[in-house]
Amino acid sequence: MAGRFSTRARLIVSIVAALAILVPLAWLWQSSLVPNSYSVTGMGYLDYGGGPVGDHDHGSTARSISDIVVDPARKADVRVDLAAEQQNLTIGGRSVPGYTLNGTSPGPTITAHQGQLVEVHVRNASVKSGIALHWHGVDVPAAMDGVAGVTQDEIPVGGEFTYRFVADQVGTYWYHSHQVSNEQVIGGLFGSLVVLPKNGRGEAVDVVAAAHTYSGTKTINGVAGDLKVPAKPGQQVRVRVINTDNGPIETWADTPFRVLAIDGYAVNGPTDVADHAMTITAGGRADLGVTMPSDGKPVRVQVSKGTAVILGSGDPATPPQPTTALDLLSYGSPTALGFDPAKATRHFDYSIGRRPGFVRGVPGLWWSINGHLYPNVPMYVVREGDVVIMHIDNHSGQVHPMHLHGHHAVVLSRNGVAATGSPWWIDSLNVLEDETYDIAFVADNPGIWLDHCHHLKHAAQGMVAHLMYEGVRTPYKVGGAAQNRPE
Amino acid sequence: MRTAYRVLAFAIAAMVAIQAGAIGYAVFAQFNWIEKGGTFDKAAFDTGAPGTGAFMFHALFAGALLLTSLVMLIISFFAKIPHGVRWAVFVLIATIVQIALGVLSHLLAAIGALHGAAALVLFGVAVMAAMRARKPAPAVEEAVPAEVA
Repeated sequence: MAGRFSTRARLIVSIVAALAILVPLAWLWQSSLVPNSYSVTGMGYLDYGGGPVGDHDHGSTARSISDIVVDPARKADVRVDLAAEQQNLTIGGRSVPGYTLNGTSPGPTITAHQGQLVEVHVRNASVKSGIALHWHGVDVPAAMDGVAGVTQDEIPVGGEFTYRFVADQVGTYWYHSHQVSNEQVIGGLFGSLVVLPKNGRGEAVDVVAAAHTYSGTKTINGVAGDLKVPAKPGQQVRVRVINTDNGPIETWADTPFRVLAIDGYAVNGPTDVADHAMTITAGGRADLGVTMPSDGKPVRVQVSKGTAVILGSGDPATPPQPTTALDLLSYGSPTALGFDPAKATRHFDYSIGRRPGFVRGVPGLWWSINGHLYPNVPMYVVREGDVVIMHIDNHSGQVHPMHLHGHHAVVLSRNGVAATGSPWWIDSLNVLEDETYDIAFVADNPGIWLDHCHHLKHAAQGMVAHLMYEGVRTPYKVGGAAQNRPE
Repeated sequence: MRTAYRVLAFAIAAMVAIQAGAIGYAVFAQFNWIEKGGTFDKAAFDTGAPGTGAFMFHALFAGALLLTSLVMLIISFFAKIPHGVRWAVFVLIATIVQIALGVLSHLLAAIGALHGAAALVLFGVAVMAAMRARKPAPAVEEAVPAEVA
């Protein structure tokens, strides 16, 4: 009798112990699932950043994001037609699978002058997973942001979409797919966008150098090896380096250079940089200024270890990579910001960590935002006109290039040390492990905006939050019939 | 149950060997790529430069290892192997410690040395657990009611 009881007791204890392991796991798994189709506005939890909790109607009375456009009656100044295809690319003599725009990767460089209305008509000729084009760094009207499932539906094969925005801000930008971006951007579905001052170029030589790695091979403007650019002694050269990769790259030169602009915003009072490298985060841009030596020697501007821009004729040796990077916190001279961060009405935290758990039902070690895993991440709510401060910290073990759509923010401090140089405006910020940043921006562009890691694989792993304006709704859904997959 | 326990324990040991193999391959594929003039940075890693697939496999396969040791623990509750639960717990702890060391190595490379060495501990514990399951079961509880009382 006692034996039978003990066997039964043992069985019960065993079952209870097994359930004690399985039930919490099943619960965690179940709660991580997302519906086949969902609106980002209903995702996660609302974070008002200590600001007013007002009317956050995102229902039928709210303004639809698809109505936030440039005046439809205004005629375009710059018109571009783009056709996207899925096809093999030849990179450094190797054939690799990829994507093209008008038959090339990168696609054509779009050039506009400040104030012009740019109209880009995009047709998806053969990209099976659909496309959407995002104008990285351009603070476009919300409906033109090109994020599938948030600002539009993906453009299926045979589909078309016309993007219209005013090129208000002079600078170096790029455009890329924001549908299945972690595959399409890596595969080459992107191009460069340059906005020149109204009166034309400032330098005699103006070079776009879009750095991209195709299947392990480093390229500039889609070509492996060095980019050779003619330049005469004494000429001023602007090299617009665009980092289209997932990780930071460093640039340095064998001649002192100046950092003329970062993420499309001019640096105030740039000085010569001689023994430092300039770090450009993933998605970020830096305009480097070089004065060609009067003795006719060529200049080598190294774009990471693998590629370089060679100005002038000759083949100068690769200069050693500087061991320290230029600190933009103290580079250049201060000037007015145009707003007062001390009057901030919202203070948000964007704390990046990593922890075990489930995302979309898949167990793993996932990126967390403020301790939560996707989709239970914060939805930062603002009202038009708010001054916003965001405190970013990274304790996740890896670097993250944080990209806020539709806005430029200014860096106030890093690790508690206040910025003392030129206003450091960013749309893409390199946040290293164990670093904290305080950034500020004005909420002046109503819409629903991604605030995500531009390491696009990290984004696909759930490192995506949103900035949402009160009274704005989106008719688009992630997933659904249109198969919107922004990341 | 006993057989399942034993198979899982040996499977964990085999998975540790596969993990070691993946890292060995990855390091040398990367080394050979650099020798031929390839550049290895974060972008190269993400776009499939040689060796990166094996690195990623290593990270993902760790999850499979953890899952297997959890299943082994659950099975141990029913397998009636002397100290079977204890050894399954050892295997699970060794797996968790090993994964934690792997994660922490991203913060401090020196921890990576411990991660490499701790793989041998996990391998050993898994083999020990498998050996335990080989012994015939004692005359179970009926013979020793005192254990429950």
